[in-house]
Order: sequence, then C-alpha cells, then structure tokens
Amino acid sequence: MNNNYYLRYEKTENVKYVSHLDFVRMFGRALRRAHLPIAYSEGFNPHPLLGFALPLSVGYTSECEILEIALTEELSTEEIMQRFNRVLPDGVKILSVHEGKSNMKKLDIALYQVFPEKTPAGILEFLAMDKILIEKKTKSGIKETDIRPDIKGIKVTLGKIEMTLSAGSRNNLKPEVVIAAMNKYIAGYNSGDCRYHRKQIFDLEMNVI
Amino acid sequence: MSSLQNLDKLFSKVQKATHYCGGELNSVIKNPEDVKIRYAFAFPDTYEVGMSHLGMKILYHILNKREDTYCERVFAPWIDMEEEMREAGVPLFTNETHTPVKEFDFLGITLQYEMCYSNVLNMLSLAGIPLLSSERGEDDPFVNGGGPCAYNPEPLAEIFDFFTMGEGEDVIGELMDAFNEWKEEGGTRKDYLKKIAKIEGIYVPSLYDVSYNEDGTIKSMAPNCPEAPVKVKKRIISDLDKVTYPDKFIVPFSDIVHDRSNIEVFRGCIRGCRFCQAGMIYRPVREKSADTLVKDACALIESTGYEEMGLSSLSTSDYTQLPELTDKLLALTEKEKVSLSLPSLRVDNFSLDLMERVQKVRKSGLTFAPEAGSQRMRDVINKNVSEEDLIKSATLAFEGGWNSVKLYFMIGLPYEDYPDIKGISELAEKVVECFYKSDKTNKRRPPSVTLSVASFVPKPFTPFQWAAQDSIETLSEKQLFLKNEIRNRKIRYNYHQSDVSVLEGVFARGDRKLGKVLLRAHELGCKLDGWNECFSLEKWEQAFNDCGIDMEFYTRARDYDEILPWDFVDIGVTREFMINENEKAKQALTTPNCREKCSGCGAAKLCKEKKGCVCFE
Ligand code: SF4
Repeated sequence: MNNNYYLRYEKTENVKYVSHLDFVRMFGRALRRAHLPIAYSEGFNPHPLLGFALPLSVGYTSECEILEIALTEELSTEEIMQRFNRVLPDGVKILSVHEGKSNMKKLDIALYQVFPEKTPAGILEFLAMDKILIEKKTKSGIKETDIRPDIKGIKVTLGKIEMTLSAGSRNNLKPEVVIAAMNKYIAGYNSGDCRYHRKQIFDLEMNVI
Repeated sequence: MSSLQNLDKLFSKVQKATHYCGGELNSVIKNPEDVKIRYAFAFPDTYEVGMSHLGMKILYHILNKREDTYCERVFAPWIDMEEEMREAGVPLFTNETHTPVKEFDFLGITLQYEMCYSNVLNMLSLAGIPLLSSERGEDDPFVNGGGPCAYNPEPLAEIFDFFTMGEGEDVIGELMDAFNEWKEEGGTRKDYLKKIAKIEGIYVPSLYDVSYNEDGTIKSMAPNCPEAPVKVKKRIISDLDKVTYPDKFIVPFSDIVHDRSNIEVFRGCIRGCRFCQAGMIYRPVREKSADTLVKDACALIESTGYEEMGLSSLSTSDYTQLPELTDKLLALTEKEKVSLSLPSLRVDNFSLDLMERVQKVRKSGLTFAPEAGSQRMRDVINKNVSEEDLIKSATLAFEGGWNSVKLYFMIGLPYEDYPDIKGISELAEKVVECFYKSDKTNKRRPPSVTLSVASFVPKPFTPFQWAAQDSIETLSEKQLFLKNEIRNRKIRYNYHQSDVSVLEGVFARGDRKLGKVLLRAHELGCKLDGWNECFSLEKWEQAFNDCGIDMEFYTRARDYDEILPWDFVDIGVTREFMINENEKAKQALTTPNCREKCSGCGAAKLCKEKKGCVCFE
C-alpha cells in the first residue's frame, strides 16, 4: 500500500525561468537525492509517481504550488519536508507537507499578483466593460475571445495589481493576457514589463486548495 | 567587481533563459569578495553542448576547491540572447554571479573543435575584451586556451595570451599559484606571461617569433626571450586513481546533450588508428581502477540524483577491468534505480550479454566503426578490423535481436581510391546478407543498415599530418559515387557536409597567418559554425579572399622536411614514430596495438608512475 502525501512549495526568482517539464524532472532527481522511498509506476520504464497541479508559466514565481507524491513507507511530514529541503536547489522550497491527497483536481480559480512598472489610475471602468475582447491565436487563425467572464476580480494598489482569474482545465486565463487587455482598453495606460506571482489557488467555492 | 542588474528584462525575452541565469544544483556560490582569483571558464558553444563536456566539469571542480579562487561558467549565447545583449549594451557575463567577463582575472576557453574559433572571437567581442593579445591592457583578463585544438594553437596565436598543453588538473593550480606570486611582486602583464612560460605545458605565443619562406611555409620558429622553452611539453596525469575527480556535477534544469553523470574509465587509446588525433595526443593509456570508478559513481548518484550514468573513454571495450566494473556498476545502479548508459562497445558475446542486462527490452541500434570499406584501406589507417570480424559481430547482433545497425566510415582518406569507396557499399551489402544467411535471425523484422560517412580531416600529431586533404569538389564527387553504388533499399546513407570538413582541416593544420582570416570572418559575422542554420561557407570564402589567403595552401600535402606550425609541441609520441607509421600506411602494413606489442612511440616517458599505465603492463 502506498502512502500519499501532498507538498506545498514555492518557486522564486532564482528558478522562475525553469519550465514546468524541467521542473518535473528536477523533482524526480531531488527525490533520489533525498532518499525518499518513492513509489514507482509499473512497466518497462518505471517512473516515480508524482502529481502536479496547474503548470506555472515560465517566468512566473509562486508560493502555492502543489506536488503529490506516493511513498512506499510511512514517514512523518516533518521528515519529508526536511529531507526534501536539504537537496532542493536554491529558489525551490517546500513550505508544508500534508498526508493524503490534495484537492487539486477541484482547482478552479487562482489569485495572481502582478508587479508592473506602472499601475493604472483606476480599474472600475475596465471591469465595467460588458465584454473584454482579446485576439487569440488558434490553429484556424486569429479569434476574438471575451475574457471578462474569467476575471473574478481585480484590485489595484500601489505598485501591485491583484487578479483573481479562472484557472485549471475548464477555463484558464493568464494574468499576462489581462495586462495586455488593460494596456489596450485603459486609455493612456502602459504597464511596462511586469513580474507575475501566483499567490493562491482555490476551488469553485473559493476554498483554498 | 559588479554583477549586472536588470538582466531580467533580457531573460524574459529569450527562449532559453536557464542557459544564462545560473542557479543550477551544485553550481558553486562563493562571495567574490572572499577570493583572490576570479576565473571565467568559457565553452565557446551553446550551453547544451558545453554543459555536456567532462573537461569543464573537472576544471570547474578543481579550481573551486581552492579557497582563493572562484571559477564561474560562460557559454556562447544563442542568436536571440546575443541580439538582446547587444541592443541593451550588456556585456558577456558569467552564469553564476552575472559578472562581466571582462572583470575577471582569467578567461579560460576550452577548444574542442576548430569550428568554434569564430565563437571565441564573438565571445571576446561581446565581453568587450580586445580581440588581439597585443592590444589587451593591464586590467583585461588573461585569455587562456586549452583542449585538443590547443595542440596546434597557431591560428589563434595572436588572440590568446597563452595556451595550456595537455591535461589541466595539475597545471591549472600552478598557474593560479604563479598568479598570486605575481600579484605580490607587482609585475606587469608581460611579467606574468614570462613567469608562466617556464611552467611545463604552458605556451605563450607572443614569446616566439616565426619567419616564413617565400612559398609561405615556415622558415623558423624560435623563442624571443630566455623564459620561453624551445619545445613545449604536454602535461599528463600519471596516476588517475590519485587525481581529483568531481564528486558533484552541476545538474542543469534544461535538457543538455549528455544529461547524465559520467565516470572517466581511462585516458588514451591503445589502438593507434592513423587518422585519429585523440589516439595520439592522449597517449599513453592510463586506467582508473574499478574500485575508484565505483566510488566516483556512488558520489555522483548521491549528489546529482541523475537517472542515468555513463562511462567515458575512447574505445571503452579495451578497459582491462570491464567485466568487474560493469558487474559492480550494475549492482549499484539497480539498487539506486539509475540506468547505465553504455558507450559503443566492440560487439561480441560479452557486450551483447551486457546490453541485454542493461537495457532489458529496448533493442535499438548497434554501431560499428570499420571506418574504411576495403581491407587494404583498413590496413592503411591501421583500423585492425577484418571483414570476418565485422560479419561475425553483425551476425551475433542480428541473432540477438538487434535488427538495426549503424556503420561509420570515412572517405577522402590518404592513399584511397574508388574501389576502396566502393568497398563501403559492398561491406554494407554483406552485412545485410549475413542477416538472411543466419537461420537464427527473426526474418519478420527485416534488417536496416545505416551508413554514416564522414569526410576525413587530416589532423596535427597523427601519421597523416602530412597528407593532402581532398577538395570540397572531390569529396562531393566521392559521396555521390558512393550514393550511386548503394542500391539495396535496406541500406540508408547519411553523409556530412564536406565544406565544413575542409574548413576544419584548414584550421586544424593552420599557421599564424590564419589569425587575420579569423578576424575578418568575425567582422563578416561568422559564428555558431557548428550549427547548420548558422554556418555560411560563402562568408568564410570571402574572409579568405579578403585576406589574400588561399585555402589550398593548407589542404596540400607536406614534405617530411617542412617545418610544421605545431612542431614546437612535444606530445610524447615522437616524430620518427609518426613518419614510420605514415610509411607503413603507404604499404598497407599494420601496427599492433599497445597491449599486443609496444611500438616504442615515445609516450612512455611521460608516465612518472607506472601503475595503471599501459606502457608498463
Ligand atoms: S610507449 Fe608503447 S605502450 Fe606506451 S603508448 Fe607508446 S606504443 Fe603504446
């Protein structure tokens, strides 16, 4: 019988350009260095049983990433956290370890923090728009899409824009797309280069995952 | 010293930011304030190529073991990154601390192949370091070259401040010690260069004058100061069991060419193929014991977590403790759930059995390297493989269920004729035939034979260093001839660009006069020549034309009494041995390998320690 755990980890500036796939491989190697009794899949090419929540875009930092692992032995959550953190490269850190499975399959909404060079004076008009149309490249050419339904909320404070957006497999809206729309529709606004940070993930009822 | 800020703007715009930003597991972090020497180690090609290179890992480790030194890495940026850097005015910087390379004490550049020379110049220019050694000031880093191409460094003589000949583990420390002494003495740049010219294995080109005959050949080359030796002797490590081997490899985040840990089984090669530079310059063979290797392997698995472990050496089948080593490694890798990646081994019952144990299921391709098609030609190049051996091995492989084999050949070899080239297709036919002749092969899976045919490039320090190199036209003709000879649909034919081979040969055997061609090619925008999408023969031809230099001067045959640009380097193997080998080649006579019978090549004198060295077995 395998023992299931899930880990919450952060991905900071140092490693933000590491792609999701490269991150998955990095964790596989870290598990070996940590000597954690990881369960392997069956078959000719056994690979460690790992599960990740919503992939993070390249260039984003996050403090709410989730990794599910299955171990062949029971270990205390502190032990797992210690062993892992000892072998992870700078910039990746396990923040907490929990027993069982996470609710990541229910993921529906994510909260992002965006740090632009300039914040807009007001956001209300933008949010009051019926439709926020952006151009999206698809296989069959450029298509207009309305992103308004996927924006749950936007809050602007000094130097920071917080966005609550649809996330996950049903609908997924990236904050950089919202920034592009703000640049397009808010008169005179130019965000400049932005940093993106994922702060929290939620299910449909806004319960933290 | 300052690390660059605001690089994020660049990183966010390029495709592979992880190639430039550092922070990989096991990369070394030191406070630059705490060290006396800062050494930038450059691999003049892209990150994924450079990070796969073992020599760099070794020297990085050895330099960083010193408390007074901080070694950091730098690679040739890809086109997108270079554009961003030039536009933003950001100079070449190291991956670890993002410090401009110009601010370092040393810039060490490893020269693995001639086609990276344009990258060397481009990296210097991106770094804002004067391209010519003579134009560098007291604040510029010392530009140091090493690696196989340093054995004929002459085309780069005006660009580098000095070169290191041979294995670097010991000499790099001596260079650092000399640097500290020199700093205390408060000398000039030139003082340092004179000081290190006395260290065995160090070549300072500015301390030598070269004069030429009217026909462009060398009249003389001699030191212009007492510190510089007439002959520069290569350095080797005598006892590989005692030399430091990294217990940690940097683990890149992104995929690289050889993404695994590696242990180095031995150096050198017993075989003595006459075209092969590695087989001569790394002589004599020195082995590591199986115990040391298992220890190295354990440390690397522990520190990297790599899922794959490779063995590194030339002709690994010649390792005397191979069965013992593979048994021990398999026990280790199975326990740690690491897969063992085997180098190409001579195909026999032992290796097939080994592959069976290692790969368990996937029977992908096997490779053979007969190198030449006819027996006469294989004797010319001293590749001691007979047709019978090859057919026997191929039959074994087919019967063992490996249904696709790859055969490596060369064309354009000295003393070659069209029947020899035809021999390549005939041999390939026989390999296909042996599949059908055997009643133990699985006829439902037809065999596939792939021919990979490279163009021969004459290299310094080989018995063929005097030979003429075929022109691009002749090579293309020969490739086409061979293509037409191949009629069997089970045989696939791949060949290499012959224009690159010719250019490679020109620089491999080049002299100081080629320095200006390199500078001109750089001006014309030559870079990343190892990448098909970047290489431009036209630009190189223009560079030669603009400088009034004829490539044919460098592809021609040489006489034994001509002074060759690299004659001042002593690699241990004697000139007499090379001449004798070339003479034997003309008569298609073979020379036994080091284990069958020592041929007295001269390399034995390099080994101070007899243990592990083939010359004293
Ligand atoms: S001295 Fe003899 S054994 Fe040693 S490398 Fe030369 S030929 Fe081989």
